[in-house]
Amino acid sequence: MEKISNHPQQELMAAYSAGSLPLSQALCISTHLEHCPECVRKLQRLDHVGSELMQQLKPAPASSELRDKLFARLDSLTEDSGTEDSVEKVDQDADSAVPKCLRQFVDEGFDKLQWKRVSADIQSVQLCRDSNGARVELLKIRPGGSAIKHTHLGDEYTVILEGGFSDESGLYGEGDFLFRDNSDEHTPVATQHRECLCLAVTEGPIQFTGVFSRLLNPFVRRNFAL
Amino acid sequence: MAFMAHKRSSEDKLTALKACLTRVAEDRDRGAFAELFNHYAPLIRAYSLAREPGADLVADELVQEVLSRVWLKADKYNERLANLNTWIFTLARNCRIDYLRRNSRYVTEIDPTDIFNDIEDEGPGPFQQVQQTRAEESIHTGLKQLPQEQAEILRKVYLEGKTHQQTSDELKLPLGTVKSRVRLALKKLEVLIER
Ligand SMILES: [Zn+2]
Repeated sequence: MEKISNHPQQELMAAYSAGSLPLSQALCISTHLEHCPECVRKLQRLDHVGSELMQQLKPAPASSELRDKLFARLDSLTEDSGTEDSVEKVDQDADSAVPKCLRQFVDEGFDKLQWKRVSADIQSVQLCRDSNGARVELLKIRPGGSAIKHTHLGDEYTVILEGGFSDESGLYGEGDFLFRDNSDEHTPVATQHRECLCLAVTEGPIQFTGVFSRLLNPFVRRNFAL
Repeated sequence: MAFMAHKRSSEDKLTALKACLTRVAEDRDRGAFAELFNHYAPLIRAYSLAREPGADLVADELVQEVLSRVWLKADKYNERLANLNTWIFTLARNCRIDYLRRNSRYVTEIDPTDIFNDIEDEGPGPFQQVQQTRAEESIHTGLKQLPQEQAEILRKVYLEGKTHQQTSDELKLPLGTVKSRVRLALKKLEVLIER
């Protein structure tokens, strides 16, 4: 694996570790983590920060009723009673090129998805939307193809799954994590020899929502739904 | 000296708790599980109440959820990946994310299970293991020396589950200041140093 040089910003990693990141962004980080052992180690340390902070809390006593209730339920607990474990499923497609965290949207490989043509060079497929209105999609740029020059209404997070591209600020390859805010204007061009596949999360109009906000006025959300 | 004694006693405590977990994993020992409950349930409740003060039922539900997973996954715990306290923290965090998703007014189609569960690692080698232990020590001592304003932000983010934006709104600080305090704190704790 080539060395990855573009990692999520540290405050983003901290928010991921804290569990306070919108799930669409967490999905991008998780995808990056599957490519980047270095960030996995950082995450373990960040989790340890959370753990230490938790130990500093003043314990809030638990009632004996709570304890009895839990003990009464132990025998009926099974692996799938609310504590889903996807180990088996994962083992089945251990060879899959699809990152584990994306398999909830991609059952049978990227080619089986309903790709839509965006331009001569680009195809896309929307995977889902987050509760903050962010759009989660896959983009496929043909070899040497270029995206239309664009600016964003909101922030954009990208993780490269296959291939690579370059833009005004550099060259990016598999596993790289990129963040662009709405002031960035850029024109990505896929590398010549192979197709480039990316996971992209695009957030809603920033003037309405506050970038990291989980809440979105339903009226605004309806208008924003494309 | 008092500090060293305190440190030793918390290490002893952790060793004892780890032994309980092993007994739960190997013998389904309920007495050992009760000890885990006695230690962790109040901390998990405190963690939940930090985000939602006064919501005792939510806190109790989180305890049930987390400790059920401990009961089920005791044999999967890998101390080379995280110490026991940290494992419990990640379980509590994951359960809280699940809970919030299930009870949110705003639907997301994203299932957090595959995002946060079981990020696999071959497990660190012995050299990295030493580095991790050293990192844990610097985090432990560093947190006590952190300037109040940085510690406050970390608590908001980690315990109250606030986004950077919410933290900025609440403390009436520019978003950039919130982010830079997070970065400064992480730097002081030497979280991101590759030794
Ligand atoms: Zn990385």
